[in-house]
Amino acid sequence: MLVLYETALGFCLFKLTDEGKLESENVYKDFESPEKASKLLKLKAIHRFTSTAMAVEEITALQEQKLTKSLKKFLSDEIIGKGKSKETLAVFDSQLGKKIKEKLDVKVVSPHMTELFHGIRSQLTALLDGLDPKDLATMSLGLSHSLSRFKLKFSPDKVDTMIVQAIALLDDLDKEINIYAMRVKEWYGWHFPEMAKIIVDNIAYAKVIKAMGFRTNAASTDFAAILPEDLEATLKAAAVISMGTDISDSDMAHINSLCDQVISISAYRTQLAEYLRNRMNAIAPNLTALVGDLVGARLISHAGSLLSLAKHPASTIQILGAEKALFRALKTKHDTPKYGLIYHASLIGQAPPKLKGKMARMVATKAALSIRVDALSDADDKSESQAPSIGLENRAKLEARLHSLEQQGDATTVRSAFAGKKQARFQMTGETKTYNTAADAVDLMPTQREPMEAAVKAVQDVKAEKKKAKEERKSKKRAEKEEIADGIDEARMDLDGEETKESKKEKKRKRRESEAMDVDPEEPREETEEERKARKKAKKAEKAAATEDGDASKKKKKKKSEA
Amino acid sequence: MAFGASGGRGGFGGGRGGGGRGAPRGAPRGRGGPPGRGGFGDRGGRGGGRGGVGKRGGPPGRGGPRGGGRGGRGGRGGGRGGGSNVILKPHRHPGVFIAEGKESLLVTKNLVPGEAVYGEKRISIDGGVDGTKVEYRVWNPFRSKLAAGVLGGLDSLFIEPGKKVLYLGAASGTSVSHVADIVGPEGVVYAVEFSLRSGRDLIGMAKKRTNVIPIIEDARAPQRYRMLLSTVDVIFADVAQPDQARIVLLNAEYFLKNEGHVVISIKASCIDSTAPPEAVFAKEVDFLRANKVKPIEQVTLEPYERDHAMVTGKYLRHGQKE
Repeated sequence: MLVLYETALGFCLFKLTDEGKLESENVYKDFESPEKASKLLKLKAIHRFTSTAMAVEEITALQEQKLTKSLKKFLSDEIIGKGKSKETLAVFDSQLGKKIKEKLDVKVVSPHMTELFHGIRSQLTALLDGLDPKDLATMSLGLSHSLSRFKLKFSPDKVDTMIVQAIALLDDLDKEINIYAMRVKEWYGWHFPEMAKIIVDNIAYAKVIKAMGFRTNAASTDFAAILPEDLEATLKAAAVISMGTDISDSDMAHINSLCDQVISISAYRTQLAEYLRNRMNAIAPNLTALVGDLVGARLISHAGSLLSLAKHPASTIQILGAEKALFRALKTKHDTPKYGLIYHASLIGQAPPKLKGKMARMVATKAALSIRVDALSDADDKSESQAPSIGLENRAKLEARLHSLEQQGDATTVRSAFAGKKQARFQMTGETKTYNTAADAVDLMPTQREPMEAAVKAVQDVKAEKKKAKEERKSKKRAEKEEIADGIDEARMDLDGEETKESKKEKKRKRRESEAMDVDPEEPREETEEERKARKKAKKAEKAAATEDGDASKKKKKKKSEA
Repeated sequence: MAFGASGGRGGFGGGRGGGGRGAPRGAPRGRGGPPGRGGFGDRGGRGGGRGGVGKRGGPPGRGGPRGGGRGGRGGRGGGRGGGSNVILKPHRHPGVFIAEGKESLLVTKNLVPGEAVYGEKRISIDGGVDGTKVEYRVWNPFRSKLAAGVLGGLDSLFIEPGKKVLYLGAASGTSVSHVADIVGPEGVVYAVEFSLRSGRDLIGMAKKRTNVIPIIEDARAPQRYRMLLSTVDVIFADVAQPDQARIVLLNAEYFLKNEGHVVISIKASCIDSTAPPEAVFAKEVDFLRANKVKPIEQVTLEPYERDHAMVTGKYLRHGQKE
């Protein structure tokens, strides 16, 4: 039996002298010492890699379980060429073994011979006699470096990395823009505090500052390109009566450059968003069609790459980004979160709050399918116009489903509103314990004709009425007897009447009082409104005074600093 | 061949030059900064004696904040003396040392003197002969689980000078560099890491240390790197995967010598976040025991890591000996 063993140096072909040993469990004993090992195995041939480039190529092919030309040539030369084609060949990798079997017509075995190969590995230097062990170490060191660098260089998910980085940068830019814009408002607010109230949009605010400069220029500046007309008018009006401080030209220059930053960063942000959209459409068209480019990119970025995202189940995709909540819930045995990053998909956003969880689940399942299509289809397929077919189809389906769910929800609410109370909870009571034969008759009723039914019912009703009447009469008689026995019936009756009258009076009084109470709180409210106005006035006055004071102090400071 | 004995390797390093090193080193230094790692920073601040050493070769990122603290007590003169008042003692584990200044620090002998791997502090101490200096690198237990295991009181590390180590989950190679220091030029460290991003830093580190063999592969598929490895004495695993024990055993079956050792760092929350950590550790140890590994000891990595344990065991390839 021949054994193929791969090393960093090259391919080695050993001859096993005693095949019977393989069967026994104690193969390892033959590898305990170098002498024993070299007795069991004889090196027949070695195919050394001539260069590192070649070694990298061969090893990479080996990792992918492919049969390279040089290995094929080596084996055919050594086995078939030397007339040993009847011998079986032991190969570690069963897939590679199959390929050798197909191509070379050699009997190949690759059973679980970890012990044999482990033995060879442990005594390799002894088996490869005449070989410097240092040589092998150097070769494996060099090879590992080259392989790793090769792997880094030709990383399959390098395209996804661009998306991951782009979405991260997008988030960073958003943060940055916000921070800068807040600073602009804070800074320019000293000069023109009213403007922050009038112009809420950060970019427009920065642009207005760029166009106007000092607020005194407001009247002469044209804001038509930046602001709508009504805002422009209010801005101009506010600029005249503004209570902001004056600032110097150098202050304005710095505020201007900050505004430049805000404007340029936001311009770049739109550019980056465009780039991201294009990239997402190219890489994951179906996912983008289903959940949008931003959510899609965030999902990819969270999983690391599109391929690893494709390996996630839908349930994981649903809560991707909510790990903290998930593990907390698992630990405390509470309900796990319903959605993570996917929450920001428009399909879930447009669902009513009650259906959001359900929608998240459905979107996640469809997203999982779309991602798999995107990850595993060829690059050429993705660039076609009908690439996002599955994504679009699923989106339409989900929208329809959401619509029907919403309708259903409406219908159920309507029904429940008209149906009135909910069904009472079933409770065991003592009465129904015994078998009720009367119930049988009632059960039989529906089979009879309606007139009959009605008749029977009428009869029963009449009987019941008679019974009731009898009982009433009896009870009356009893009561009368009792009253007579007591002898104070009339007096008590009167008392009762008085009591009731009194209580009625009391009630009336209470009602009146309560009405008064109702009215009362309204009166002070009106008062407070008046008061509030007064207070406001006072406050304004105070504020004005304070700001004046502040201004004054600032002016003083300025003077000091100037001095 | 592109790499002969040593000349070839030199060319290897030169191929990328210093520029390549800049980036990977920059990243870990950034990591050293945040207050999360501050536990160590505080200690460094107290050790005035070592401060002087740090000043000489220490990276600016870490040396900076400490400088202020030293300024306050400069009069004491402790900061000036450099390594003179630092006493180096060998640790119980061969290859590991303790630098005793104002405070004891775990250090390993720097295999590549004059260079820090991830911005850690270095201490040089006079060698036996006059004028020669031996450089040691500080091993931070908050950053390395193996160091935490050493301080946690492992009886034996099994990673010793001259040993061959298979390191699964090498990450950026910060801990790997210390393991490489311990095994020395005679030993070998096979560092397996799957992540490309971390692998980049790992390769950068391995370029300087020729006893580290970087392997950018999935540790779940040892057949993919079977051609690169010889048999090893120890497998150290820090992979933080739910099937960690299985991964270790698979690699042990391929590469570990009979009666070789496994050292596994277990993060309980990575295996089962709902079960109590002790139960998780016990489960893992039972799994190892059922698969030819005889557990030797288990230590907790508190206070350096929460809910972590380090388990060592002996791999009995052919079953228990009678």
